[in-house]
Amino acid sequence: MNVTCPCCGERGKVTFERSFDTTTTVIEIQKLTKTFRKFTAVDSLDLTIYKGEIYGLLGPNGSGKTTIIKMLTGLLQPTAGTTKLFGHTLPCKSIMNDVGYMPQDTAIYIDNTVHENLFFFGSIYGISKQRLEKREREMLQFVDLQNWRDSLVSTLSGGMKHRVSLACALIHEPKLVFLDEPTGGIDPELRATFWEYFGSMVKKGITVIITTHYMDEANRCSRVGLLRQGKLIADGRPSDLKNNTRTNSLEDTFLALAGRKKP
Amino acid sequence: MKLRRTLGFSRRALLQFRHDRRTFAFVLIMPLLMILIFGYTFGGDVKNIAVEIVNQDTGLPPGTSTLLPQGLFLAKNITKNFDRNTLSLHENTNIDDARQKVHDGKAWAAIIFPANFTQNFLTTLTTQPGTAHPKVEIYLDASNPTISAAVIKTISHTIQITLKELTTTLNKTQIEMPITIEQTYAYGGSDTRFIDYFAPGVISFAIMMVTTMITIILFVNERRNGTLQRLLVSPASESEIVAGYALAFAVIGVFQSIVVLVAAILLFNITIIGNIFLALVVILLLAFGHQGLGILLSAAAKNEMQAVQFIPLILFPSILLAGLFWPIESIPSYLQPLSYIIPLRYGIDAERSIMLRGWGIGEIWVDILVLILFALFTLSASVLLLKRKN
Ligand SMILES: Nc1ncnc2c1ncn2[C@@H]1O[C@H](COP(=O)(O)OP(=O)(O)OP(=O)(O)O)[C@@H](O)[C@H]1O
Ligand SMILES: [Mg+2]
Repeated sequence: MNVTCPCCGERGKVTFERSFDTTTTVIEIQKLTKTFRKFTAVDSLDLTIYKGEIYGLLGPNGSGKTTIIKMLTGLLQPTAGTTKLFGHTLPCKSIMNDVGYMPQDTAIYIDNTVHENLFFFGSIYGISKQRLEKREREMLQFVDLQNWRDSLVSTLSGGMKHRVSLACALIHEPKLVFLDEPTGGIDPELRATFWEYFGSMVKKGITVIITTHYMDEANRCSRVGLLRQGKLIADGRPSDLKNNTRTNSLEDTFLALAGRKKP
Repeated sequence: MKLRRTLGFSRRALLQFRHDRRTFAFVLIMPLLMILIFGYTFGGDVKNIAVEIVNQDTGLPPGTSTLLPQGLFLAKNITKNFDRNTLSLHENTNIDDARQKVHDGKAWAAIIFPANFTQNFLTTLTTQPGTAHPKVEIYLDASNPTISAAVIKTISHTIQITLKELTTTLNKTQIEMPITIEQTYAYGGSDTRFIDYFAPGVISFAIMMVTTMITIILFVNERRNGTLQRLLVSPASESEIVAGYALAFAVIGVFQSIVVLVAAILLFNITIIGNIFLALVVILLLAFGHQGLGILLSAAAKNEMQAVQFIPLILFPSILLAGLFWPIESIPSYLQPLSYIIPLRYGIDAERSIMLRGWGIGEIWVDILVLILFALFTLSASVLLLKRKN
């Protein structure tokens, strides 16, 4: 099907239903750069992410993970470089129906109830009421907040708010999900549940971009990218990275890549 | 623009107010409190003004005139007709003492009828006018303009009434009174009070304050909490976001205005002679324009603290320069041009014209046009602002 995107003007095959294989490109990043005044937060990033991947962005605080995600979601205007999502050059509103985003800060309405938040974010995506009710039940079960449906978000604990935020990012069944530290402040048991769920998502062909500081989570990613001062210093499957540097754990891999010895 | 999505924004904002009872109360209580405080302090008529009255009128000796009733004491008749509610009269026989009382601040005024008051009245009636006019002396403490105006108004009003009485008792001959004051009212009437003038202004002012402040705080929070980022990463367009909030404020504005109007009618029996729907249209336009202004200002505030700093910036020009309390003509002429750039001025003017004069769109179209342009400008500017990326 040959169409012109009404939004970004991209011509050619524009179809979201692609065959289920990891060679289908979902994100294509070229020379992506962001500078704040003189400070370069992201330095000429080239990266391609395929359908059904869980791509983990790793790196110390301030290494540019959030800045990358903000550019990939069209929130930040890159200083240089381009990003294509599903073949569309950003900025492009028409693909946003298929994108889910969980910002690093909780980003939900604290003066509304959990239910109101879920329904509000769902309604933005034009989901029918019946479907929304079903999705709400699924999401509340997933983040284990069934009993908190009608509570005001301001009365929830920090981790609970975080869980509502994750549920809001997934309520519309996006095909591409950006999760900025979804497991920060989440207890170990629920963290395991989350990763099981992420696993089931990628099995359905959903692509997940995730940032984390937990090494056990990094190990569960299909690929990880290690950032240092805005530069991608390593990119590959966790096992490959470990083999290449002849280390036993990802933690040691990163220390080795950063040129530091294990203490 | 998708209607369902737009309604989603309005719904969420309104639900937030339902949970946030305090803010909701503020929306209603602020204008009611203003009406109550200003209505009762400014609005009521001045009462119990202490006034000394010295009556030296010797009246008409019997047999002097066939024209006027025998033994007429005109000053006495006038004194009898004074409104004792407004003036608290104290009869005094000594002019100097009466003046001293005013001087000492024990009375606001001394009214003195000289000895030949009735006599002079008769002379003026019978001979050519211009010789000896009947004269009332008023010694006034005019340090409070409201009170002195009330004293003067009462005196002239009472003299008029007394003269009218006199004419009706003298039905045998048609005489020409030396003074006739005839008042007819284009708008309002002798019973129009400050509150009638004030209420349309308060309604406009309240909607302006509430909409601007709440919008600034809502959008500062949207930015700070990151919810706005989420909206911008959704298929929702910036205009849907702005329209969604506009709809929510329209609901709040209409609700607020109706409650305030009903309260003002019940408590103060205010006059509304114009079209109430037109009045609500003006309210909506004010709400839309100031919502846009709020979004624009929110971009200049990093947090709620900074947002609150906008209050005096908006409050004082609106209170002082938009004609809320005083007519714009009464502010210094070099400040008057400033009032033209305050949108509230047009809202207040329109509401007054509708409610007090019963004017329609034909007379207030300039106000309406300015408000429409203001709303179009701020709303489209805020859509552009939301579209701007860092
Ligand atoms: N709006 C901004 N203005 C100026 N500098 C910024 C801005 N946003 C981010 N930065 C800088 O860019 C760098 C990268 O920030 P970023 O938030 O992407 O880090 P991060 O990898 O997400 O860190 P963390 O693990 O703490 O979340 C930081 O040094 C930060 O100070
Ligand atoms: Mg971050």
